[in-house]
This record gives sequence, structure tokens and C-alpha cells, in this order.
Amino acid sequence: MSAVTPARPAATDGSRPKTASGSDGHPPRKGLTGLQRAFGRHPIGTLLALPYAVFLVAVFAYPVVLAAWMSVHDWFFSAPGVEVDHPYVGFENYRQVLTDPAVHQAFLNIAVFLVINVPLTVALALVLAVALNRAARGRTFFRVAFYVPYVTASVALVGVWLFLLGGDGVVNSLLGPLAPQPSWLVNSSLAMPSIAGFVAWKQLGFFVLLYLAALQNVSKDLYEAASMDGAGRVRQFSTVTVPGVRTTTALVVVLATITGANLFTEPYLLTGGGGPDGASTSPVLLMYQLGIEQGNPDTASALGIVLVVCVGLLVLLNRRLLRSES
Amino acid sequence: MSATTPVREELERRPKGASRWLVPAVLTLGALAFLLPFYLMVIGSLQAEPDTSLSGLVPSGGLTTANYAAIDGSVDLWRTLLNSGVITGGAILGTLVFGVLAGYALAVLQFRGRGTLFAMVLLVQVIPFQLLTIPLYVLTVRTYGLADSYLGMVLPFLVNTTAVFVFRQFFLQLPPDLFSAARIDGASELRVLWSVALPLVRPALLTVVLLTFIGPWNEFLWPFLVTKEADMQPLAVALANYTANVAATTSNPYGAVLAGSVVLAAPAVGLFLLFQRHFTATNLSAGVKG
Amino acid sequence: MRTSARWTAVAAAALLTATTAACGGGQGPGDPQGRGPITIWLSNNEQEVAWGEERVAAWNAANPDQQVTAQQIPAGKSSEEVIGAAIAAGTTPCLIYNTSPAAVPQFVKQGGLVPLDTMPGGDDYVTQRTGEAAAQYRSPDGHFYQLPWKSNPVMIIYNKELFAKAGLDPDAPQLLTYDDVLAASEAIVGSGAAQAAIWPSPASQFFQSWFDLYPLYAAASGGQQLVEDGEALVDSPAALEAAGFWRQMYAQGLSPQEAYTGDSFADGKAAMAIVGPWAVSVYGDDVDWGVVPVPTPDGLPAEEVHTFSDAKNVSLPVACQNQATAWDFLQASTSADADRALLTETGQMPLRADVAQTYADWFASADGAPYAPFAQQAARTVEVPNVQNSVEIWQDVRNAWTGSVIFGTEPVESALADADAEVQHLLEVP
Repeated sequence: MSAVTPARPAATDGSRPKTASGSDGHPPRKGLTGLQRAFGRHPIGTLLALPYAVFLVAVFAYPVVLAAWMSVHDWFFSAPGVEVDHPYVGFENYRQVLTDPAVHQAFLNIAVFLVINVPLTVALALVLAVALNRAARGRTFFRVAFYVPYVTASVALVGVWLFLLGGDGVVNSLLGPLAPQPSWLVNSSLAMPSIAGFVAWKQLGFFVLLYLAALQNVSKDLYEAASMDGAGRVRQFSTVTVPGVRTTTALVVVLATITGANLFTEPYLLTGGGGPDGASTSPVLLMYQLGIEQGNPDTASALGIVLVVCVGLLVLLNRRLLRSES
Repeated sequence: MSATTPVREELERRPKGASRWLVPAVLTLGALAFLLPFYLMVIGSLQAEPDTSLSGLVPSGGLTTANYAAIDGSVDLWRTLLNSGVITGGAILGTLVFGVLAGYALAVLQFRGRGTLFAMVLLVQVIPFQLLTIPLYVLTVRTYGLADSYLGMVLPFLVNTTAVFVFRQFFLQLPPDLFSAARIDGASELRVLWSVALPLVRPALLTVVLLTFIGPWNEFLWPFLVTKEADMQPLAVALANYTANVAATTSNPYGAVLAGSVVLAAPAVGLFLLFQRHFTATNLSAGVKG
Repeated sequence: MRTSARWTAVAAAALLTATTAACGGGQGPGDPQGRGPITIWLSNNEQEVAWGEERVAAWNAANPDQQVTAQQIPAGKSSEEVIGAAIAAGTTPCLIYNTSPAAVPQFVKQGGLVPLDTMPGGDDYVTQRTGEAAAQYRSPDGHFYQLPWKSNPVMIIYNKELFAKAGLDPDAPQLLTYDDVLAASEAIVGSGAAQAAIWPSPASQFFQSWFDLYPLYAAASGGQQLVEDGEALVDSPAALEAAGFWRQMYAQGLSPQEAYTGDSFADGKAAMAIVGPWAVSVYGDDVDWGVVPVPTPDGLPAEEVHTFSDAKNVSLPVACQNQATAWDFLQASTSADADRALLTETGQMPLRADVAQTYADWFASADGAPYAPFAQQAARTVEVPNVQNSVEIWQDVRNAWTGSVIFGTEPVESALADADAEVQHLLEVP
């Protein structure tokens, strides 16, 4: 905390490199200016990133740090002017959270969700994007079709899907004797996969757009070269397209993982609060119950921190895996 | 709408074997899967009585716009649309300006604190909003004094962190030579960003607009927390209030909920239609050669 | 390492300013003697808003120096979140007209509500207006943090057309005992008259138990709350009876385990529903319906059956600056005349002693007659217990309920016994 005061003016000094940015024109590895010594090779980077950094600090840092603080205290939100004692309780909130069977179940549920949702999202989004990129006609129509679920509020879509997946819904009518018993959303082994499918469906439009954007940057020369080597469409897909959009795949995996780990609306609405019998509760749903409904933001924060750490590790692992493949 | 992408045309000229029908088949199947629920939603919103039977898939008549008329009668659509526009527009503008700058800096420039900032980008995305709602509300209203203001409503959405992440990823895809070449020509960093990097990631920009747009557009709880003034509330809040109200007082709440959702989605889809044709290629190889 | 240290420092600096400001800013508790303009929150239900605006207009005409402004907040589940957040931020209005009794202990713990009995004549006003039932709304510390305002006593409504189709007497159906209801339900589903006999929400939200377990429990126990004198009664004989009844309904497929989109009763998918008096205006013209009290194991006569009150109350947050005005307006808006307006305009029962007698003329009129059975029932309602950790307690009960009663994955007795132990623990933790 003592380093606080000097750091602030130093950051504000970052406004100066603007005029000095010509120094970036110098070929790399020439003598470093004082600014570069203080701010790295491109001091202007600090300036460009500053508004966003200030935003993060102003909007997120306080609640996040408060959450971390709450998680080791006995804490709740009191009215202003009300004196309340908030004793330090160490890891008691964490102990409560980590020994709760409902929490174990929720993490298990979310693992099932991710294992189904993420690969499904990547595969379908890429295939649809490639098809869309090659479509001869009707591109506008298809783009809109894929995008519509993404922009539509969950409340309405959930209503429709309840109707589709219900015991005597459209899906079961089509399946006939193959329909699962009990039906999808009240079957404890199918509820989470159904939600994973629903979320993949709902988010897919956005990921298709991401891939579509990425495909524009895959050089057509590569396709020509592959084609001359006698590679067919499928070979082109695996040798040119897939490697060509690798960074985007990494992005899609990370984003889908994060969205999935923050799953809340769907179990809340589609399976009526994590039913049947807790088979589709998610950690965030539990957090909502604990922190907002039941007024225990301290244990909710502990759960939140555990979740953030888990997802953070998962994302890092994803990134590492995808990087090592290349 | 068709003659847009050189890449595509080139490939289209020589369809081989299965791919002649494979592409349309995949697309049609996809479109069906995507549009069927939406179709049901629209049909449901036009029915006076909900028909959940299979035959209800193809309505034989009895369609009515009563659900829409009722919304028009109790929600000030123009006023709330304007509010939605202000909030969403603020979020898009903030994200495009500050997000692009940050994404570019994170991807291309080396400066002190880059690693920490990127760690924060990842961290912020990982944090569930439910954890932050109440502290953020207390902060916004008490510390910043932004109750009953548009800025307060837009604040958490001002720079979309996922967008920063996407920008960074797309700038990373550009070959580094591009930037060094421009810098050797003596271009300032902002100029490199504006005239070299940005044109190349135009599809990404649009994608991000479409991403950023929808969060604040559909958001209900946050704007409602920040203001209870009916004439400052966005469309999503007005519609949610309306449907909650209808659900409590009529025997066909379902139609009202669906109609409300269609009304909320329509402007979003309309805007997408308007902008999607800009969603076309900027061929990178051309950029590198040029 | 050095780079991140610098960023951390920047963040910490900004954070420090933010937190100090957060602690220093905001307004403290308001003035009990304060007079002046106030804001109130009404539930956004159309009839209630109309009622509220009439009260406000009348008040404002008579008190130009103490103007009241009404705003709307949704009646649903999000209202508790909104109120809780507003209490933490000190942005609450002066009166909240849709305070859920289950949330009151939490708001009190936050230090967010003014004890109404500390206002002039407060205790007398509450107890005289509501009568004996007021005791259920007194907090464990002896204070009234809520004015018991209106109830929606729940009863069983049935569809006469579907009953006739199932071969049941549509005008005087036999629905007194659990066995009666089970037999009628079998007839309804067996004859194909409707897909379900009764279709309560099988969802897991904490409040859902108020509309399946709790009315039957209240009736079977002769009007007890789920907690009496600090003792949890989740696995008491009455609770087990009620749970056993619903287990039968689910096990025999008379109540579906799946949620219904929309309104199963209005759509003719269910022949019965558990509803409050709001049902009169909702189903009034669409369905030919009759209403009976909830069943009891041995068939208590109707005039002895208790049920869940589904009440909404008025609270006065401490952040209110002009509390004297708020208290006066609260009394004006809950007077006998204001309550008559509430009853006739919204069909909800003012939480007053002897509603049926006080407004007997209206219940005898054509408009009021359909509400008369609910008014009779309003004399015997049971509220959710006013205890700490109230919402958490109900969530535990609900979790046990979905597992055992709805889905039958574990025996009802052991599930409720476990829940009872958890609830007892939640009642006792400091």
C-alpha cells in the first residue's frame, strides 16, 4: 500500500509519450529512451490501454476486492449508517462451501456441461461458418437465421424449448418410442446435456460470426496451393481452414468455457432452478441463492472465488494446450 | 448481396462432387434448427389462446395481433426505444473506442503492465456478474452518485471486456511485418492502428458490435436497479415489467411474453440486417502485398 | 514482477479512494420527525398501481407541502433483490408496498427497516387493524418492522366443465379429505378429462413450497407455522401427512413432474389449481369454476381449515428522510376506506380483523360475491415464520421436497427429517 502514491503520477505521465511516439519509428533494438525504460518498448501502449485500465479499476476492482475480503469475514450488506461487526473468520466460509454436497454436485454438473458444450460449439460453429462462407446464395438469410437466437432474450426461448423438449413435446413426438423416459428436462442424467445443447444453440450464431470474420483472413493462396496439390474439400478444410483459424478457435474455446462456467439463466428458467433434484444446478445459481436470495454474500463470495480460480486454471490450461499443439 | 468475396467466388467456380449439395444441405439444416424455435415464438405471440399441441405448429387461423396491440397500448415504445438506444449506443461507442485501443496495445505493443492488464482481462471475464451486482450497485450509486442517470445504466457495459479480448486476438492474427513496415515509413502508432490495422479487422469490429450490443440491449436487472423512473427505463425493463404484470392478470401470459420478446428482438435483428452486408472480406494477402 | 507491482499499485490507489468514499458517502438514517416530500414503491400490478395513484392524488391534494411520488417495482422474485440492494445503497424510498414477509428478517438484519411500533401509536395501530393475526408479523425482538397489509389466502379452484366430464359433481364436489382429492384426481386423469388433476410448479425456487406444502401443512396442523417457539416442524406429523399426499399425486402421475409453460388451469390442462383471490379476475370469464378450501387428512369442515396467507406488507426503510410524513401516509392508505378501495379494486384481502363482516355489503353484491369464499378463508391464514435465515430455511425445505416428494429419489420421511435438522440448525446459529 505504501507504493500507492508514487505510482499514480507515474501513470499520468504516460500522457506524454503521445508526442514522442515518433520514437517508435526507430528500428527495434536501438538505444532505449528514458520513456522506454520506464514504460517498455512502446510507451504509447500505456496511454492506449489507460482508459480501459481505469475503467477496470473503477468498475471491477472494488467489487472484486470486496468479494475477496467478504469471503474471509462474517459479512452482509447493511444499510448505510448502521454499525455492524464483521469479524474475520478465516477460511470458515470456504470450509462451508467446500463441504457442501450441493456445491460438489454443481461443479460436477458444470463439468458435464463443459465437456459437451465446448466441443459441440467449436465444431458446429466452424462447420456452419465454412459452409456460410462458401454459400452461393441466401447468405443474408442464413446469417440472420443463425444470429436470431443469439439476440433473443432467454425468457422467450426458454418457453419455446420447454414446449419442444416437454414430455409430449415436438422432439419426443418425432422420436416416438425412442423418446427418453422421463423426458429430457426432468431426467436427472439428461437435464444437463439438454441445457448444454440449448446453450450451444443459443450462442452459436455469435461464434459463427467470429469464425466468419476469421475466415476472411485466411489467405486464398493457401487454398489455391492445396487445390493444386490435389487436395479435396475435406482435405482443404483440415489442412488449410482449421490451422488458419487456430487463434479464433482458441478464442472460441476460452469464451465458450467462460460463458459455460457462468451458466445461470438456463438452469434457473429451463429446469426451474436447477432441477430435477439438483441435477442441473450450477455454481452461479447456488451463488445467486446464497448471496442474493438468502443474504449471505460472504459464503457466496467464497463460492465465487473458488469458481473464478477453477475457471481461471481451466482457461490457462486450454490456452496452454492449444498453444502447444501449434 | 452475392458478389462480395473474391475467395468464395473463386472456389464456387469449381464445385466438386459432394460439395455441390453438401454446403446448401448443411446450411439449410442449420437454418431449420435455428429458425424453428423462433418461428414457434412468433406464431405463439400471434395466438389468442396458446396451442401447445403438434397441430399448433401450423396454425389454421385465429391469428391475432392483440398481444402486440396490448404492448403498444401500455408501453411507450418510442421513449423506451430511445433509452435503449442511448444505453446501447454508449456501450458500443465506449467499446469501439477504448476497447480497440486496449486490444491493439495488448496485441501489438510492448509496454510495462501489459501482462497484468491481460491477466485482468481474463479475470474480469471469468467473474460472474451475480458476484458483483450489489457491490457494484452500491459503488455506482453512492460513490459515483450515478443513480437515475444514463451513465449509471451504461457504466458496467461501457467497455466490453470480451470485446477487448476479441480485438486482441484479431490483431494478433495480423502479421507483425505489417506494423514494422508502417513504422519504418515513419507512421505514428495511432496512424498504424487507424490506417493499417483497423481496415484489416473490419469483420471483427462488426462482430464485436453485434456482441456488445446485445448485453445492454437485453439487460433487465441493472438498468432497473439504477433507475425506477419509468421514462428513463429501456425497452427491456419496460417489457419485463409489462409481461410480469400481464402474467399476473390474464389467463394467457405466454402469448404476451412471446410478443414482448419479439418486440425486443426485432430492432436487434433489423440492425443486423442493416449492417451485415459490411460483414465482408478484406483480403489479408492483398493487404500484405499492397 | 516489477511491471505487475506497478499496476497493482495503481489499482490499489484507485481502490483506496473508492472505498474511503464509499464509507464516507451516502446518507445515514432519516429523521423520525421529518416531514416533506416522499417517494413510495408500488407493485407494478395494474390494479394496485391504479389504487395507489388514487391514494397519492388524494393525499397530495390535501398536503401540498408533503407531496408523495409513486414508482413501480415488479411484484415477482426480483423485487426482493431490488429492495435488498437499495437498502445497502441507502436508496430506498419511504414506503414499500410489496414487502414479502419472508424477506423481512433479512432486511431487518441489514438494519434497513424502521420498527413501526416506535412511531406514534404504532403498536396499537397495527394490532387494532389486523387483530390477532398481527402476532405472526411481530419480529422475534418484539418489534413490528412491517405493517400487515393484504393477503391472498390460497384455496383450491376447480374447473366445473372438466369435473363434469370426469363424472364428478361439478357443483358440490367431494374434496374434503386427501382420499377425496386423490379419488377425484384419478377420475379426472383416468377419464382423460384433463392431462393433470392439479399442476403445482415443480420448480426448485425457495418460494414454491408456499403453494403446495404449506397450505396443506397449515390446514393439517390446525393453523401452525412451520416453526413454532423456535422449534422446526418440518417433519412433524402434519408436514409428513401433507408430503405423503403430494407424493401420491406425483407417484400416480396425477400431478406432472414437468413445468408447464403458461397457465395449466386456464388452458384446461389441469382440472384444479391452488390460487388466491386474484384468480377471480384472471379466470372470471374464461373458465366456469368453483372454489373449495384445501383438503385435510380427516376432512375438517371448511370453517376450520387454515391456509397460507400469501401476504404482502408495507415497510418503512430507515433511509427515509421524512418518516413522519411516511407514517401518516401509511395510516391514510390503510384506513377502513382505503382498504375498501383496495378490496373492491384489486380483489385482494386487506389484513384486517373480520374482513368478511366489515365489507359484508360488498361481498353480497354481484361484483363481490365471487370473492366471498376467499374472505371467509382470510380469517384463518398462516404466515411464513418470521425467523432468521428465513429464505435459506425455505430453500432447504424445497430441496428436500423436490428430491423426495416430486421425484421420489429418496423416502419422504428421511428427507424431511434431514431438512428438519438443517432448519433447526439455521434457527439456532448465532
